[in-house]
Amino acid sequence: MTQNRVPITRLNKFFAEQDFNLELAMGEEWLLGDMNFTLVLYRVDRQKTNSDDVYGEALSDAIQFLPPVEFKGYVKVEAPSNSDMGSSRIYQTEPGNLQVSVYQKSLNELDIEINLGDYIGYYETETRVRYYSVVDDGRIVSDNKHTYGGYKPYYRTIIAAPANENEFRGI
Amino acid sequence: MSLPKQVKKKLSLIPQKFGVERRQELLEDITDKGTYLPKGVLHADLDRGMLDFVKDQLELSVDGKKIPTLDRIITNQSWIQFTETWDFKDLDNNVSLPFISTVRMPEVKYGTNNAGRANIPVRRQFFYYTVPTWDGQRKGVDVYKIPQPIPVDLTFNVKIFCNRMREVNEFNKIMMRTFTSKQAYTQIKGHYIPLKLEDVTDESVKDITKRKFYISTYKITMLGLLIDEEEFEVTPGITRQVSLFEFDTRKPSKRAVIEPPNPKDFTLDFLYVTGNTSLTEVFRYNANIEIIRTENLKTCFSLDYSSTTTNILSYVSCNGTPSTISLTAGSNGNICVKGGTIPTLSNVTGGTLSSTSSCFGSYSVNITRNSVTYYLGDDISPIQINDGDTLNVVVNKLDPTQPAILYTNVTLV
Repeated sequence: MTQNRVPITRLNKFFAEQDFNLELAMGEEWLLGDMNFTLVLYRVDRQKTNSDDVYGEALSDAIQFLPPVEFKGYVKVEAPSNSDMGSSRIYQTEPGNLQVSVYQKSLNELDIEINLGDYIGYYETETRVRYYSVVDDGRIVSDNKHTYGGYKPYYRTIIAAPANENEFRGI
Repeated sequence: MSLPKQVKKKLSLIPQKFGVERRQELLEDITDKGTYLPKGVLHADLDRGMLDFVKDQLELSVDGKKIPTLDRIITNQSWIQFTETWDFKDLDNNVSLPFISTVRMPEVKYGTNNAGRANIPVRRQFFYYTVPTWDGQRKGVDVYKIPQPIPVDLTFNVKIFCNRMREVNEFNKIMMRTFTSKQAYTQIKGHYIPLKLEDVTDESVKDITKRKFYISTYKITMLGLLIDEEEFEVTPGITRQVSLFEFDTRKPSKRAVIEPPNPKDFTLDFLYVTGNTSLTEVFRYNANIEIIRTENLKTCFSLDYSSTTTNILSYVSCNGTPSTISLTAGSNGNICVKGGTIPTLSNVTGGTLSSTSSCFGSYSVNITRNSVTYYLGDDISPIQINDGDTLNVVVNKLDPTQPAILYTNVTLV
C-alpha cells in the first residue's frame, strides 16, 4: 500500500522546495566542504549481539557491530568538568559531551540510522581518538530549530557521552 | 438449595501432601532435574525470578489485550532498551503506553529473613546429603556438604505506565489480590522466596503543559538468599569397612597383685594376737621402718629421787605393784616405775623426782642376716632393713589377755 503524501505548501510564497534545497546544498557545501568534521559511527548489531536474559547486557568485548561508517557533522565538544566520583573522594576530570549536528539528508544518503547506545569515534589529533556513546539520538526533529523555520526537518542534533575504555575502545 | 458446607464443590485430582511428606516434596523440588545438591541461586537468578513473577503473576490485560512487560532489568548499556522495546514503540520510537517495567535497586542489603540476628561465624560446611556410589567393585558414598545460604534483601520497583485510571485500578487490584497477606511467594530454581509489598507511590506526570500519563510504583522487597555452587563440597566417604575380632585362646593367669601399691612409702602394722608376743617377717627390699605408735605394750621409766627431809615416796613398780619407800634426809636412789603412773612424795618440798629413760623394753628387735641373728636393741626406731633380712620383733604386752599392735611406717630406700 502506498503511503499518503501530502505536499508541504507552507511558506510557499516566500520559501518553497527549491529554496529549501538550495539552502540545504549551500549548508552541505559549508559543512562537508569547508568545515569537514569527520566522525565514525559504530552501530551496535542488536541482532547478532548476545545478551543475557535478565539484564540484556553483553559481556566485555562481546558487543557485535555493523561495519563502521564515516559521516560528517558539525561538532561541538563541551568543556570537561572536575568532580569526585560519587562520595568516594576520588577526583577525576570528566570529558565533556559531544554534540553533533548532522544533516538528515547525509544520513539518508549513507543509509544509516543513529540510535541510542551506538558509539561515535572522533579523532581529536592524528593519533588520539575519543569514543562517545549516544545518549540522545535526536530522533525527534519537530521543533522550529530543526525544521528551517517550520518548513521541513532537515538536521538532527545528537548528544553522546564519553565512553570508558572498558566499555568501548574501537573495533 | 445450597449445599451443606461440608460438601466440597471442587475435588483436587492430585492428592495434597502434608507434614513430612510435604517437606520431602519441597526438598525434591529443590533438586528436581539436577544433582543431589540444591541449585545455586545468585543475584541474576533472583532478578530473573522477579521478572518471571511480574510477567506471570501480575499479568494485566485491558480490552482483551495483554499489556506488554519489559522483560529485562534495564542497566547502563543503553542500547539494550531499543532491543527490548522494539515491538511496542510509537511514531517517535518511544515506548508506547501502557506497559509494565521492573526496576531493581542496585544495592543488595543483608537479609532480614533471620530477623537481623547474629549468625554462625565463618563459612563452615554443613552436611547435606549422602549419595551412594558404585565403582563397579565397591559400594561407597559421597558426602555432600554446603555452607549456609546467605540471606539478602533486594528491592524492586514494579511500575505501570498507562494513560487511563482504569488500567491503574486494574493493576492495583491484581497487586492487592496477589499481596493480600502482605507477602507472596515465587519459586526460583526450586527455592520458595518470599516477596513483601512495602509501599505504593505515584509518579504520574500531571503537568498540564506536558503529555500526561500515570506511573504507579509498587515497592517490593524480596527476602532472597544466595547459594553459590562454587562453595559446594563433595568428598568421598567410607568405601569399605572391615571388622576384625581377635580372641586369646590361652587361659588367663591370675595376675599377681603387686604390693605395696605405692612402693615408696606405706604403713605396716604388726598385730600380736592374744597369746602371741613374737612376729617374724622376711623383707625383700631395703627399707627404714619407723615405729609410729604402740597399743597395749608395757612401758616403764627410770626415776631418780632425792630427799632433804623425812619423806615417803609412793609409786607403782614396773610389774604393776603399788610400792612405798621411806626416805630420810639425804636419801637418794633410782627406781623403775610403770609407764602412765606418776610417783608422789609425802612432803613435796622435801624431795625431788626426775624421770630419765626407759627402764624396760616394750619390744625387742632382732634381725637374722645370712643365717646369723643379731640383737639390735629395745624400743629402737627406725629399724633399718636390708633386702633378705628376717625381722623378728618380740613385745611385752601390758595386758596379756588382749592383742597388741605395733604401728609402723615403711619407707623404701
